[in-house]
Amino acid sequence: MSEEKKEYNKPLPEFRPETKPFWEAAKEHRLVIPRSRETGEFFFYPRALSPGGDMSDDIEWVESEGRGKVWTFSIHHMGPSKAYKGEPPYVVALIEMEEGVKMMSNVVDVDPKDVSIGMDVQVCFDDVTDEVTLPKFKPAG
Amino acid sequence: MSENLPGIQETRELLKKKKVVIAGVGETEQGKIPDKSSFHFLSEASKLAIEDAGIKKDDVDGLVTAFSLVEHTFMHCTTFADYFGMNPRFFSSVAVGGATAVWMVAEAAMAIASGQSEVVLCVRGDNTLSGISSSGMLALIREMCHAEFEFPYGLTTPGGYALAAQRYLHDWGARREHLAAVAVTMRKHAADKENAMNKDPLSIEDVLSSRVIAEPLTKYDCSIISDGGAAFIVTTEDKAKELGIENDLAYLWGMGQGYSHQYLTTLENLDQIYNAVERSGQKAFNTAGIEPRDVDIAFLYDCFTITVLLELEGLGFVPKGEGGAFALEGRMEIGKDLPVNTHGGLLSQAHLGAMHHVVEATLQLRGDAGSRQVEDPEVAVVHGNGGIVSAHSTVVLGNQPIN
Repeated sequence: MSEEKKEYNKPLPEFRPETKPFWEAAKEHRLVIPRSRETGEFFFYPRALSPGGDMSDDIEWVESEGRGKVWTFSIHHMGPSKAYKGEPPYVVALIEMEEGVKMMSNVVDVDPKDVSIGMDVQVCFDDVTDEVTLPKFKPAG
Repeated sequence: MSENLPGIQETRELLKKKKVVIAGVGETEQGKIPDKSSFHFLSEASKLAIEDAGIKKDDVDGLVTAFSLVEHTFMHCTTFADYFGMNPRFFSSVAVGGATAVWMVAEAAMAIASGQSEVVLCVRGDNTLSGISSSGMLALIREMCHAEFEFPYGLTTPGGYALAAQRYLHDWGARREHLAAVAVTMRKHAADKENAMNKDPLSIEDVLSSRVIAEPLTKYDCSIISDGGAAFIVTTEDKAKELGIENDLAYLWGMGQGYSHQYLTTLENLDQIYNAVERSGQKAFNTAGIEPRDVDIAFLYDCFTITVLLELEGLGFVPKGEGGAFALEGRMEIGKDLPVNTHGGLLSQAHLGAMHHVVEATLQLRGDAGSRQVEDPEVAVVHGNGGIVSAHSTVVLGNQPIN
């Protein structure tokens, strides 16, 4: 398994200071979503200041149950880099989270043909390297 | 249409007074042309536009360029000024993706209206097909999506548009045929465009059965990549007369922009995209003093088939959800309700942002479109879209001064 991980050649996120808590939580298999303490509004992707009118830098990270619905999806038959060559088609989706924000991710553990808009999904965690864990989603229940 | 947008009356008055025009256009050969550099195409296109206007290079005192996907420049406009041998009083690089070419017209008009320049050369050129490296292509794909929260999931540019398309099909109960019909019409139009890359007839069935790129989009739902250049000269009616320009002029009647999002992650729903298209169109239409039904010919950004449907609907040419039927019934063809992209667009002619859309709009209004000529068009709309249906720009052009 660990040898396989070292060969991971697909794009990896480059962390920014303000996004680090998200990735650190993911490594511990927890999904956290940022929220402005001033307005109580969730936002995603993470920013240093809330993108709302409050422009607050008082951000809290709220642990999510990781539940959402597929808002839209596309079965990719061609990846963005050579690392995807020869791989089976994969699902890129926008997930509408219970918190109201959307996250882009992959829907896994399912035949891509069975994915549909409105499908209930649950977060799962893919430890793609020793440093990076990508939150992904699988059918709920 | 809302009359309360700020700046409409002021802009109308300014355009009435200044009478900003497109006075010359140029297009190089398009296709796979490995023996010409990005700056070669820029130079050649500039020369063609200057010659089409019948002016001298020294008459040009302003320069608007964009960016290159091949040559990495921090200051694209002045890099080209140096290469081409110009000494512009005004220079600017516009970089809003596919919304760029349309906004170059506005950028030039604003420079002219504020006295910065009198004759502005707007030019784009690139050897994207032959010159781009695989790392350059990767950087481009990455540029379109969030490097941290989207790219690691393998999102591609066609995939981003596919996400929008899938939701469109779901919301309106539309079918892949509706998307395919856009590609079929573009291909029909390209048959009569001299420098179009893809002229072979294309059927709905061909589109549906071609290689799947990102469901629901196939190869023919996606635009082509090409090498080439295009340019246009923006000036005023008075200056055109003074310079002895003999071309019929295309008059600028209005312009507008609309922003939706940069990353799909922050997109709330399809309405957010429609609203951005509508805002862009409304500002341009209201300034021009027209309604969508007054438009004779439309040039809509067609990087993917889905964008044309979103733009047809967002701009108010057809009700929301009915763009697909409009396309499938062939109503975007020359001679029908609303001819769209009479040059074949990004799907079949060539891909240089909306440069060719602006050039073709001008040629059509001049009556210089040859076998593609639409009967006596008086009003044209050109709409650009950058990012993944993120950033929008619209201009309205007329064959007479704005009234």
